[in-house]
Amino acid sequence: MQHTLRELLEQNLIENQDAERIQSLEQQSPFSLHWELKTLLYLGVILLNIGLGYLIYQNINHIGHVALITLIGGVCAFCMAYAIRHRQPFSRSETESPTPYYDYILLLGCLLFLVLEGYVQYQYNLFGTRYGLATFIPMVLFFGLAYWLDNRGVLSLGITALASWVGITVAPQEILSKNDFSSGAIVYTGVALGAFLSIVPFLSERLNFKKHFSLTYLNFGVHIGMISCLAGMMGLDREIVFFPLLCVAVGFFLWYARTRGSFYFLTVAVVYGYIGFTYLLVNHTASWHFDFMFYLLYFFLSCAGVIYFLIHYKRFIKNKQS
Amino acid sequence: MTAYNPQWLDALRIREMVAAWRRNEWLGEDKWKNIQAHYPESFYSPNLFVRIGLAFFSLILLSAAMGLLGLFFDPDSETAFAGFCLFVGVLALLFLEFWAIRSARHYGSGVDDMLLYFAIGSIIAGLCMPMPYQTDEVVYYSVAFPFLVLGSVRYLDRVLSAAAFLCGLLICLKIAMQVPNLAIYLLPLTGILFSVAIYLFAREGQRRYNWRFWHRQLALLEWMSIVTLYLSINYWVVQLFAFEALQIENIPLPWFFWVLTFVLPIAYIWAGVQQKDRLMLDTGLGAAAGAVFTFRYFFHVLPWAWAAVIAGAVLFVGAYFSIRYLRSHKGPYTYASEGDKIWLQELEEQLIEQTIASQNPPVPVKKDGFGGGQFGGGGAEGNF
Repeated sequence: MQHTLRELLEQNLIENQDAERIQSLEQQSPFSLHWELKTLLYLGVILLNIGLGYLIYQNINHIGHVALITLIGGVCAFCMAYAIRHRQPFSRSETESPTPYYDYILLLGCLLFLVLEGYVQYQYNLFGTRYGLATFIPMVLFFGLAYWLDNRGVLSLGITALASWVGITVAPQEILSKNDFSSGAIVYTGVALGAFLSIVPFLSERLNFKKHFSLTYLNFGVHIGMISCLAGMMGLDREIVFFPLLCVAVGFFLWYARTRGSFYFLTVAVVYGYIGFTYLLVNHTASWHFDFMFYLLYFFLSCAGVIYFLIHYKRFIKNKQS
Repeated sequence: MTAYNPQWLDALRIREMVAAWRRNEWLGEDKWKNIQAHYPESFYSPNLFVRIGLAFFSLILLSAAMGLLGLFFDPDSETAFAGFCLFVGVLALLFLEFWAIRSARHYGSGVDDMLLYFAIGSIIAGLCMPMPYQTDEVVYYSVAFPFLVLGSVRYLDRVLSAAAFLCGLLICLKIAMQVPNLAIYLLPLTGILFSVAIYLFAREGQRRYNWRFWHRQLALLEWMSIVTLYLSINYWVVQLFAFEALQIENIPLPWFFWVLTFVLPIAYIWAGVQQKDRLMLDTGLGAAAGAVFTFRYFFHVLPWAWAAVIAGAVLFVGAYFSIRYLRSHKGPYTYASEGDKIWLQELEEQLIEQTIASQNPPVPVKKDGFGGGQFGGGGAEGNF
C-alpha cells in the first residue's frame, strides 16, 4: 500500500493529506468479524436443525420423546414469536433486518416447523394420504411469512414447498404406485411452474410489490422450466413439443439478460439451449450413420460459435437495438 | 516474467485498492475518477458466470479440436500418441500466448484458463505416457512439478499454484515414506517442515513489491500451508496415514499429536485475532471443528445427534452474544461488515449485476499493436 500511495502522490493524483488520512484510517480501522460470526450463526442453525430432526425419530419410543417434541415446539414457537415481535413495519419494498440474528432465528423457526410437521405426520398420520395438504400448509405459511417479514430465504423455502405441492397434487398415483418420475404430468407441470415463476417478477414489478424478490423467483423459474423442457425431450421423447418450448424459454431469458444486464441468466440460458440443441442433433442423426468426424466438427464449430457469442454479446445487442 | 501486460495488471491492482478507499469514503469522487482515468486497462475479464460458461465451452472445443487433429495425424503407437499429446499441448500454449493473451487480451476469461490447463495437462500427459508401467509415482510428480510451477508463475494462475503446492508436498512425502524404519517419524515431520517453509516463503513474497502480481497466489499458498501444517499434526490424519501407507496401527508419541491437535487451532485463532490475520483466524476455526471431530472419532462420548444439537446451540448462542458484545463495545474489533465484500455477497451482485453494469465502462486505450478494442471491448464491463 505504501508503494501505491507514493506512486499516486508522485503522479499528483492525490494530495499529501489524502495519503496521510488513508494511512491513519487504514491502521485505525477495526477488524471486522462480520463474516465469521454470520457463518457461525448459520452453522448453528443447520446443526440444530439436523440434530433435532434426527433425535425426534431416534427417540420415538422412549420416555423422553414427549419432552423432546415440547422442546422443539417451544424453540420453534420462540423463534416465530421473536420474528414477529421484532419485525419491521410492513413495506412494499425491501426492508432491513431489524437485528443481525433476525434472519437466522426466522430460518430456524421455519426449518423446525418442517421437522415438527414431518414428525406429526409420521407418528400420528395427521394428514393421512393427503400429502398435498401436508405440503400446502408450509407453503402458505412460508409465503405469508416471506412477504410479511420480507425474507428471501423463507421465500426460497416457500417456492420449494410450492414445487412439491404442485408435483404431488398432479401425479400422486403415479409416484406412489409406479415410482414413475418421468411421467408426462410431472414434466408438463414443471414447464408450467417454471413459466409461472418467471412471470411473477413482472407482475410484482408492475404492481411495485416486493420487486427485490424477482431474482429468487427467476432463479427457480429458469432451472425448473429448462430442466423440465430437457426432461420432456429426453425422457418423454416429445421433441416436437418441448424443443420449441425450450427455444422460447432460452429466448425469454436471453431477452431478460439483455434488458437487465444479467450475465447469470445469459450463461444459464446459453448452456441449457446448447444441451437441448446438441441432444436433438445427436438423437436425430444417429440413424444416418455419420462419420465420427462430423460430430467432432459439430462440437468444434458450435463451441467456437457459442464462445464468440458470449464474448461479443454486447455487440449483438447493439446491432439489435440500432 | 508474466505473460499479461504488466501496466494493465498494475492498473487493475491500483484501481481495486483505491475502490476500497472510495467505498469507505476516504477519498473524494473526483480523485477516484482521475485515478481511474490515469490507470486504464483493457483486459477482457468477464463476469464470473460468463467465465464459467466460456470455460465449459472452451473445454468441449479443445477436446473436439484434439479429436480432429487425432483423426488427421492418426497416432497409432504409444510413443506416437505421447508425441501427439506434446504437440497438442505446445499448440495450445502458443495459442494461449499469442492469440488469447496478446491479441484478444483475455485475462481470467475462462478461455485463457482452460487453454492453460489443457496445454499443461497435455504436455504432462505426453511426457508421462512413455514411461514404463512400474515407474515410481515420485517420477510422475517430479515431471509434472516444473510445468505446474512455470505455468502458475507465467500465467498468474491460482489453480496451478495449488496443484504445484500439492505436487511438491507429495514428492516430499513419497520420498520420506521410503526411508526404512524412520518413515513413521519422518512423514509428519516432512509435512510440518514443508508447510512452514512454504508459509515463510509466501509471507516473505507478499512483502516484496516486485512480486506484487503474484500476491494472490502467494496468499493462497499461505493458506494452504496453514492447512497442511494442521493436517500434519492432527491425530486422526497421522494415524490414518500411518495405517494406509505403512500399515502401522499405533503411532509413536500419541500424546504429542493429541496435544497438538487441540493446541494448534487455539494458537491459530489466538494469532489470527491478535494479529488481525483473517486467514489464520478462519483456518483456526475450521481446525477447531477438525479437532472436535477427531476427538469424537476416537471417543464416543455422545451420540452424534445430541452432539450436533449441543454444538449448534453453543455456536448460535456464542455468535449471538459475540455480536451483541461487539455492537455495544467499540474496540479494535467490530461486527460491522468491512468494505471488502465477501465472496457470497459478490456472487449475489454478480447475479444481479445492476451495480456493476451501472459502473463506468473501462476507458478504451488507443495503443498501437493491440488492435484498439477489436475483441470484447464492450463485454469487458462485467468486472470481476
